[in-house]
Amino acid sequence: MPRNQRYQNRIELLQGTLDLLILQTLRWGPQHGYGISQAIRSQSGDVFQVDTGSLYPALHRLQKQGWIDSEWKVSENRQRVKEYRLTAQGKKQLASERSRWKQVMEAMAGVLNPSAGESKA
Amino acid sequence: MNFRERDKRDQELDEEIGSHLRMAERDRIARGEAPDEAHYAARREMGNVTLIKEVTRGMWGTYWMHTLLQDLRYGMRMLRRNPGFTLIAVFTLALGISATTAIFSVVYGVLLRPLPYDRPDQLVKVWEKSSKGHDMNLADLNFQDLRAQNRSLQGLAEFSSGEASVSGGSEPKRLVVASVSSDFFPVMRVSPIRGRGFAPEDQRPGAGAVALVSYSYWKQYLNSADDLASVKLRAENRSASVIGVLPPGFRYPDDADVWMPRELAAVLPSRTAHNWEAVARLRDGVTLEQAREDLSAIAGGIKKQYGDDVDMVAASVQPLQNALTSTVRPSLLILLGAVGFLLLVACANVMNLLLAQAAARESELAIRTALGASRGRMVRQFMAETLLLSLAGGAIGVLAALWGVHWLLKLAPSETPGLAGVSVNLPVMFFALGLCLVVAVGLGTFTALRSGSDDIRTTLAEGGRGSAGGFRTQLIGRGIVVLQLAITMTLLIGAGLLGRSLMRVLSVDPGFRTEHVVTIDLALSSAFSPDQKIQRVQFPNNLFSRLRALPGVEDVGGTNALPLATGISSYGGFAILNPQQLSPRMLDVLNRSARGNVWDDSALAKDLNEFFVPLFRDPKHAGSADYASVSEGYFRSLGIPLLSGRLFDDRDTMDAPHVALISASLAREKWPNENPIGHSIEFGNMDGDLRLLTVIGVVGDVREASLEKPPRPTIYVNYRQRPQATYRFSAVVRTAGDPASVIASARKIVRELDPDVPPSTSSFTTIFAASTSGRRFNLMLFGIFAGTALLLAIAGIYGVLAYSVARRTREMGVRMALGASAGNVLRLVLGQASITTIVGVSLGLVGSFILMRFLQSMLFEVGAADPLTFAAVALLLFAVALLAAYLPARRATKVDPNVALRYE
Repeated sequence: MPRNQRYQNRIELLQGTLDLLILQTLRWGPQHGYGISQAIRSQSGDVFQVDTGSLYPALHRLQKQGWIDSEWKVSENRQRVKEYRLTAQGKKQLASERSRWKQVMEAMAGVLNPSAGESKA
Repeated sequence: MNFRERDKRDQELDEEIGSHLRMAERDRIARGEAPDEAHYAARREMGNVTLIKEVTRGMWGTYWMHTLLQDLRYGMRMLRRNPGFTLIAVFTLALGISATTAIFSVVYGVLLRPLPYDRPDQLVKVWEKSSKGHDMNLADLNFQDLRAQNRSLQGLAEFSSGEASVSGGSEPKRLVVASVSSDFFPVMRVSPIRGRGFAPEDQRPGAGAVALVSYSYWKQYLNSADDLASVKLRAENRSASVIGVLPPGFRYPDDADVWMPRELAAVLPSRTAHNWEAVARLRDGVTLEQAREDLSAIAGGIKKQYGDDVDMVAASVQPLQNALTSTVRPSLLILLGAVGFLLLVACANVMNLLLAQAAARESELAIRTALGASRGRMVRQFMAETLLLSLAGGAIGVLAALWGVHWLLKLAPSETPGLAGVSVNLPVMFFALGLCLVVAVGLGTFTALRSGSDDIRTTLAEGGRGSAGGFRTQLIGRGIVVLQLAITMTLLIGAGLLGRSLMRVLSVDPGFRTEHVVTIDLALSSAFSPDQKIQRVQFPNNLFSRLRALPGVEDVGGTNALPLATGISSYGGFAILNPQQLSPRMLDVLNRSARGNVWDDSALAKDLNEFFVPLFRDPKHAGSADYASVSEGYFRSLGIPLLSGRLFDDRDTMDAPHVALISASLAREKWPNENPIGHSIEFGNMDGDLRLLTVIGVVGDVREASLEKPPRPTIYVNYRQRPQATYRFSAVVRTAGDPASVIASARKIVRELDPDVPPSTSSFTTIFAASTSGRRFNLMLFGIFAGTALLLAIAGIYGVLAYSVARRTREMGVRMALGASAGNVLRLVLGQASITTIVGVSLGLVGSFILMRFLQSMLFEVGAADPLTFAAVALLLFAVALLAAYLPARRATKVDPNVALRYE
């Protein structure tokens, strides 16, 4: 039984983090799945390469939770694409996730870079 | 979400993933890759599309139901593709499940179903406990004290029941009439649906006799009369007006149809006259243990107060349900265990079938795993398949169980309690469903464990025909066969032991002849006054003379205690007395008892007690015996031999000295070195007549109660001298030829003599067969289970060996090409089969040794570890197993090495 080998030599992305990335990406406007993964990749400087196997389950889950909505559109090439956009609830969720992330970052910074006076014990 | 929505969603997902791929491909081409390369690179980067789609679909929430249906549909397809396997598996499971369900129906109906009374858990039966630890019925005064002094019961009632002829309905009928005390109906919480219950005015001595009737009697014999005031019944020479009808289904105790207040009869002053059964209802919140302690304390107090007048030392309390079913519980539970074993053997066969199937499906499983199916998914798939199999088997099984229960009820011994409530009802069906689920889970787990642990690459490469399924599978297959053999062995040994027990019972000499004997049971009224007594002698006299006149009749006799039939016999204490020891006054008192009840006179009663009590306590001169009131023709008709002295004859009239015959075992016990003839016996507590009995002869022993118990010492009195005891009377007619021809004429005679006395006729062979019916029923069931298990085991052995030989075709070919003869190959295959059988039989021997002790209660004169039975069954099983293995073994020798080696 072969184990799913998703993140070889890549930075492990927690599920919650991926949600935040998707919601943030959609803030700039509706986008289809491929576009979202490309946007995250380029904006993170090629660090976050979102695996399709995680992207689509996440998108469908977020839609089920009511934070994003989907619609079928016709692209420039006269092909059908499914576009996702942020809902009002999603906007609120994004805001709260962002503030939580900020807290986590400040806490991490505090531990990793203690002020000079406190390191001497 | 319904199916159309789901299908639409599935299509959209496909499209979405497809469009992602297209865009990725387009971008690669835009970056300069070749179109073909871009196509494959995009696909490779995406990875396992099937898995992605499945995980995404998993996010939709209600997906589990969809997967379950998918699994079931897939399972159906698999089963349809292998119709042979499916049919055999389903029918094997149906066999096991139907048998188990049928037996469980009986177990539930008889043992588990709560009694149909209010709060049945509070109903208990109460007994006195003797110093030896035996439970005894209650004596009147003890009952009254227990009732007055207890703190743990809501009510305590005494009752007794017996057969009587009841007329006054559309026709006279022999029924059970119950005599119940005032608390009886409040304790049972049953009240009449018509009319009224017993009131305090009805429950005193001398009150006008009233009666309550059962619903079925009212419907059938009273024509559902609306106006009860006009209905009068005559039972036991007493007329009673019917005042109420009880609810349908209430027939306690003993399938009674008429209930009368106990208070109409006098209370006996003796605290050792154990004449009454007792039922009680516990107070709310009181436990069985507390009630037992409470009543035992009162019993102990009574013992302390009255000393030797009382033989009760404690009280015994049991739930009513247990008391009613205690005789059949052990054998029913054993039968349930046996049928469970049968189910195991059937499941083992199906396990082997699944094993063979799994080996054939290895490549399919390997591909699914490569596609990304998780272990859990595969297990769910197997479960779905086994669920389909077991539900199908269960459905057929339940239908078959309906037929099986119908047949069981027909053949079951009729005295089994609660038989009326046995049916394939809702609880039983829940049980069957549960059984299906357990079987499904068990088989599914087994299959899941067996597969999936192999290296996929090798499996796929070898195309599923390689040795991956070979050795391990065969070993497990043989292991299953070993288990089957062991279980079958246990069942066969059980059946063998029961069979030998039955043969032993049948070979017991009952002490009388049973061929060509017709019995006529009559329920006559009580006869205590001298006039009644005279009348009572006349009736059998007339009957005997008229019966003797019938063609084909060799001899006629009568008794009040027919062996093996009436069940209850009178049993009591007697004393050997020397008439010279008696004072003239005492002799006079004894003689006076002929004319009336001397116990009513309290002064006399005191003297009698003072005289008798030390007498009965002297073990040299006192003892216990069965009491029977018979005619002289009785012994001749039943072929009971006269060993010494003489039988009753015309000399022994009412006013002549009273005589008695004793059985051989009693003579041996009390007069080991002398001739008992001429000695005197006092046995008056049985019939109220205190006159001494002179022993005039000794007759052969008779097994009265049952063939399996030793003959009881018996004292026979002459019915002409003691007619008051013959209210239940059986005439015994010895016929020259077929008894059936005499029966019709006999019934006519009885009806002519007394139309109020309905006769119940039967031939003794029927009674004799009925006395062993329980044993034969158990043996039959056990035999069926054992035989079926044997057939299944043989099929299992054959199947496993045939499969193994088929898989080893190439190996056989190689061996034969290398010079092995047919004989060598045969020996090889049979040798392996023998080892399997030996292991199975040995395991079976050990298992049987451990388990058969549970069967001990059902055996008669056969040890639970009887070596003869064990050895015989072991040899039988070994021979049968080798026979089953022979055919496949022979087929192995027929392998053509050229064909085998070439075939790939």
